[in-house]
Parts: sequence; C-alpha cells; structure tokens
Amino acid sequence: MMNEFMEAATAIESGPVKKWKADGGRVIGYTCSYAPDEIMHAAGILPYRIRGFGAGEMTIGDTYFGPFICSLPKCMLQLAGEGKYAFLDGAIITPGCDSMRRLDECWRKAGEDHPGVVPRFFFHYGVPHKYTDYTIKWFTDETRRFIAEMSAHFQTAPDEERLRASIKLYNRSRGLLERLDVLRTGDTPPLTGSEALAVVIAGSTMPRELYTDMLEGLIRELEQRTVQYGDRIRLMLVGSANDDVDLVRILEGDRALVVADNLCFGARSQTDLVEEEGDPVSALARRYLRQNECPRMYGDYRRRLAILKEKIESAGVEGVVLQNIRFCDLHGSENGLFERDLEREGIPCMRLEREYGPLVESGRMRMRMDAFLERIDQRRKSA
Amino acid sequence: MRTATREYKFDWMLWSAFNAAAKLKNGSEKEYRYILNYIPYFRGVVDAILATGEPGEKFIGICARYLRNLITARDEGRHNAITTFCFSPAVFYAMDITPICLEVISVMMTFTYRRGTTEFLDYCNEVGYTETSCSSQRGTIGAYLAGIGAEIDMIVTDTPGVCDTNANAFSFASAYLDVPFFQLDMPPVLADARTDEYHREDFRALIRFLEETTGKKLDVDRLRGIMEEVARQDAIVAELEDLARLVPSPLPVAYNLMLYASRFLFAGMKECTDVLEAMLRKGKENASLGISGLSGGKEKLRGFFCYIDHYTQNLKLWHMLDSHGIAYQGNILSRSFASNAPHVKELGLEEAAYGIDTSNLDTMIDSLAQINSRMPMIKSIRGPYDGPHMWLQDTLSLARMCSADFIVYNGTPGCRNTWGMVKLMARDTEKAGIPTYIMYADAFDDRVESWDVTKERFEEFLKVRRLLS
Repeated sequence: MMNEFMEAATAIESGPVKKWKADGGRVIGYTCSYAPDEIMHAAGILPYRIRGFGAGEMTIGDTYFGPFICSLPKCMLQLAGEGKYAFLDGAIITPGCDSMRRLDECWRKAGEDHPGVVPRFFFHYGVPHKYTDYTIKWFTDETRRFIAEMSAHFQTAPDEERLRASIKLYNRSRGLLERLDVLRTGDTPPLTGSEALAVVIAGSTMPRELYTDMLEGLIRELEQRTVQYGDRIRLMLVGSANDDVDLVRILEGDRALVVADNLCFGARSQTDLVEEEGDPVSALARRYLRQNECPRMYGDYRRRLAILKEKIESAGVEGVVLQNIRFCDLHGSENGLFERDLEREGIPCMRLEREYGPLVESGRMRMRMDAFLERIDQRRKSA
Repeated sequence: MRTATREYKFDWMLWSAFNAAAKLKNGSEKEYRYILNYIPYFRGVVDAILATGEPGEKFIGICARYLRNLITARDEGRHNAITTFCFSPAVFYAMDITPICLEVISVMMTFTYRRGTTEFLDYCNEVGYTETSCSSQRGTIGAYLAGIGAEIDMIVTDTPGVCDTNANAFSFASAYLDVPFFQLDMPPVLADARTDEYHREDFRALIRFLEETTGKKLDVDRLRGIMEEVARQDAIVAELEDLARLVPSPLPVAYNLMLYASRFLFAGMKECTDVLEAMLRKGKENASLGISGLSGGKEKLRGFFCYIDHYTQNLKLWHMLDSHGIAYQGNILSRSFASNAPHVKELGLEEAAYGIDTSNLDTMIDSLAQINSRMPMIKSIRGPYDGPHMWLQDTLSLARMCSADFIVYNGTPGCRNTWGMVKLMARDTEKAGIPTYIMYADAFDDRVESWDVTKERFEEFLKVRRLLS
C-alpha cells in the first residue's frame, strides 16, 4: 500500500492522474494550499497541487523569472515549459508569496514563446494576509468569483448539495490523516517521516474518493506494522514548502525520524475541518484563511509558535530542523524567531538554507545533520 | 556590530549630522566651503542639495526637523510608529504619532556614512533575519533590533499583498521587539467596488488600532487641516510634473529625490509644502528663462526610472545623470496618483486615482484609504504587472508622457516581487520602442555591486544603445 502512495508522491503525472484523464476527467492545478480543493471536487474536476519536483534544469524558469527568486516556482515553470503539465485543463495562481504569485505572469509569457504550455483556464485567486470579519467576506466573495469563472469555463457548476458532499468527504480524509498523525507521533511510530510526507502529498494528486479508501487501508496496515523506529532521534521538520520525500530521507538517514512537521505540503495543510453547517462557500473561506499556519499571514507569529510548541510537546520532539529555500524570506526569517524562542526553552534547533529541486547539496546536508544529531545524542546521554 | 557603533543612539547621531548640515549656510560662502572640509564623507550630498538653493536648504532643514521629532517624540508626549515609505504619514500626524520611516532613514544613512548601513544590515542577519531580505528596511531596522534607537510604540505597514520582504521586515520586528503590529492588506486589483470597500474597512480597522494603542481619539479638525494640506501639496506636485515635461526640463536632477522624500517625511504638514513651493518657484523661474535644470545647461537625454533610485554615498547617481546631460524624469516614487496629476487627467485614469473629500469624518477616512492604496508601489505592483493600472501601464504612460529616451529599473536583490516580473516588463517596454536597462545593483548596499561597476554598466548601456556617443 505504501508503494502506491510513494508512486503518487514521486511522479508528476502519476497513475491515478493518467487514469483520470484517460476516463475523460479534467484537472485544475493550484500552486499553494489556500485553494479550496472541495470546490473543484464538487464540480467533478480533479484538484491537483502543482509541484516543481523532478525538474532537471531551470533554463525556462530562469528565462522569465529574475535571478533573486525562489527555485520552487522556477521549477514549476520549468516543468510547465517542458510540457509536463500538459494534462492540466486549468491553473490557479495564489499569492502565497511574491515569488509564487509572479508565476502568473511568467507562465503566461512563457506561453507566448511556447504555445500550448498555459492551461486554457487560468485564474489569479486573491488571498488576504489576515483573518478578520472583512477579510473573510472578501475571501468568500473571491471564492464565489472563482466558482463563477470555473463554472462558466468548464460548464459545470458545484451546487450546494455537491459542495456539502465534497466537504464531508474531505473532512473524512482529514480525520484519517489525523489518525495517521497520531500513529506517527506516538511512542513507536510505524512509519518514517518520508513515508508520512508521501502519504500527505499523494492526497493532492489523486481523486479524493480513491485517496480516502487507500488511506483507510493504509492506517489498518500501519496499526499492524511491526517495523518500528522507536530508538531513533525524534525530529520535527519546519519551514518552506517541501514536496520531495528524498529531502526528508536525507535528513532522517538511519539515526533520525521526522515524527512531526509543519510544512504546507505536509501535515499542516491537512489539519482542521471545514464546518459542515451553514453556507458552504463561507465555511470553506473561513477554514482556508484561518487554518493555514504560514508566515504570509503577517503579525501572527505568536500563534504559530504556540502551535509548534504544542506539537513538539505532544510528539516528544528532540530537535527541530528549520529549513528554508533560498530567497524564501518569510520562512527564513520566521525560522530565526523560532530558533531564538525554542532554543531559549532548551529545544535544539538547526537552521538549514537550501535550494529546491535536485538534491545537489545532499553531502552538506548530511554533514550538518550528523553534527546536529550528535548534539542531541549528547543531551540524551547527559539527561 | 562594532562596539563603537553601540556607544550612541543611531538616530541621535544622524540627527546631529543633519542638524549641523542645516546650519551650514548660515555663515558666509567662504565659511561654508571651509566647513565642508570637516565632513569629507557627507560633503558631497550636502553640497549637491544645498547647491539647488532655497529648496535644498529647506529640504535639509526638514530632514533635520524630522530626525529631531523622531528622537524627541516620547519625551514630548507623542507616540511613535515604525512604518514604511509607501504609507502616507498623514494619518499619523493627525493622531500625533511620529512616523519612523525605515526606508527614508536608510537612504539618509546610505548617503551620509562612508560605511552606509552595513553594520545594521548585517546585524539583522545575526539575529535571524534573512540576508536575502530587502536592504531598504534592513538598513534601519537592524539599529532598532540592536536597541540603539528610540523605543518603539507600534509597527504599522501597508505592504501585505504588495511586497513580501517589506511586510515581513515589519512583522519580524514586531515579533522580535514584542510591540503591537497592524497591517493594511492590499488585494491584487486596484479599481473595483469590492477593493474600495475592502480598503475602507481596513483603514477603519487601522484607526481603531491607532486609537487603542495611543489611547487618543482621532481629532476631526486636525485631520481636516492635514488633508487640506495634502491637497495643496498634490496641486504643487501636479505643477512640478507638468514643468518636468518641458524640453529642456527646468528642474534640477535632485528635485525628484527631494520631492518624494519630502512627501514621505511630511505629507500633510507645512514642512513638506514649504519645500515643494520653493521647488516650484525655482522651476517656474527656470522655465520662464527657458533654461535647463541641469548644471551643464544642456539637456541631451531624458531618463525615466520605473522603480527606485540608487542611493550610494554622495548622490553619485544624480551626479552621473547630471554630468551626462540626462534630465531625470522621475521614478515610481515621485509620481502622484492624485486625480489632478497631469498623466491621470491626460490619459483618463480617474478611476485609478484618488480624490480628497474633507466634508466629514467618513469622507476623510475614505480619502485616506484611497490615498494609501495609491501610494508608490502599493498602487502598481499589487497585481500582475500587465493588469489594468499596474506597473507596465504606469511605466509606459509616464515614460511616454515625459518623452523619456530610456527606462531604467533599479531595486534591491531583496525585491522578490519586481524581480519576479521585471524581465517580462523590460521585454514589453523594449517592444514598445523604449530602450530599457535592468540594473543588478543594490540601491542601499554597495557591497552587492560597487558604484564604480554600476556606473560603468550604466554608461555601457547608454553607449551600446547609442543613446550617448
């Protein structure tokens, strides 16, 4: 079962996507976790989180983006320019951060030079940077604008009943992911951090019904699993977007285990349910605007620190890896604050700046991880 | 950071320098020339600004006044707020809050000190703030993080939705210093009913925040006086923009800097009006004589900067332009988007402009919200660069209106937002027939690329494109 999740997490056009397309299904890609999957699902469209995974070069990305830009959107553009996203019928760009929102223009302009690489439905989805009554209203209206444009383009509208059903389904799978998180953060985790990440990522690339069924099966399997990693050093992974299970594999090596994360591709994006009562669009707007714990929501550091500390406590985390992609100032700077405040409380932290994409720096990362694990080992011995 | 740097409050040091500079012209010309020898690293900027006559003297004077306000705010019973250049200070003045504009202070230090703001830039990195963040905020915020500036009451920004690294600097400082924070958020579209309503709601929330933080109510009469002053200033700026269109332009190159800096420091206050009026008097005088504002008296080219300037020590950018006979036609910072601005009227852009209505408190708050949402950068780089009323449209219309022979982009490597689209925009402006140059320097940090290299590359562009022989 884990192999199927791993396959879905490590291929751009995975088996389930190919089958969906072969059956005549349509796919809308989105660039960040603020886009509500439920709406596309209710319209019978497969929501798919766009990734930069597997880009071997950045010749196309560098042509349109300037040099001081995060490599994640550059890799996304690279893949799009190479035609790897030809299966997308639509794309949503959200202003998760400045680098990501400029994917809008760069992708469109690349389409002028490479005809056919831009999906026909292309939507800029505004997302406020704070959570108040009027920002929720604005985001709700923006979501209705999205529904209207998507419905007009694809000639399929998500009515209220279908929306409620989609919300229910996604809530169910989020509940299962919560169960997975309990297993993962327990005393004897039955899976590695890279496997856990693969399971979450797979959810953003396959039909939700199939995913939910597979998740149920996986949890049953994991509850019986005898492989245990109880003696490894327990780590938490925090920071910039990461959809590369190999990065987690490198960080874990054979001495550590990532038992918790706070990544938008990871557990963070799956916590919290959508209210099933009341107006579904407004419920979705509230959930997506409130529950994503990303530093793009300015001035809310204390709440994010509290969430982190609670997770560190409940998961028995012994050290925190604070990573950011170069030029990701939002996570990079917040990592600086986390390091200050967590170290003050005796929680070892390691800041790691990296590039997104091919793991050309794996040697450096391993060396730094060895030193970090050594530090935690010494703490264990002196405890 | 060197121990010596920590010895004195950085803002007091800077005030001390500008306060002395403001008095330099009190003596005879001989005394003035003699004293310049004692300020070898500051003399270039002082001399260049004072050389513009009355406007320059007034400008140096208001810089000193601003810095004095900043260091005395708390002692004199005022609150202070760290804020950003693209946030109109009018609302702060209306509530007796001293605005501490990070970027303007960074410019002052970059101009004045041989080492620029390097120690403060680096200090930010020492305490965990990324080195890839924008140097315009880092250059000053580092001093506050190090505790060698005035104590801070609040932090207020309006760049979320416009510039991440800017907004992030304020958010970081708020968490680091543990002081109250407020953000005005900007949707990706400028001119539609939904956005207008959002701006209005957001601005009212800001006023509630300011009232709660200071414990004072917004004074309607005081606000009205300030708004009327803003309207007067807009009218003067419109006249200056019109004058700049004359060939030759009667405005000296440094006017552009003085215009936007005065507004960032004192919009809505008499101090700013005084400088603008003096500039207008001189500009009209030159225009009536038909002479160029350039020191050489001959205008060879006209350049438009689509973003910001390069603030290396001693106004070297302005010297370079002046020495080549290039009339500086302004940048994104100096342009006004008031409804009476020449380009707004000429191009029919009223829906994207702001008006000032002082009828009652509600109309004034709505006007403030509109002004703020039309500030430089806030207006035009919030949405896709090729969208309505955004960066490309503004750049092309302004460059054409002022008959620019070329367009220049300069920013900082920290400007994720413009670096994400500047190549595309340069491609479009070139297609429109205007040679466009992208500078890879850092406006606030010569260590990224030395001024000599920056200058050489700039001149190479002028030569290769056969703009100058």
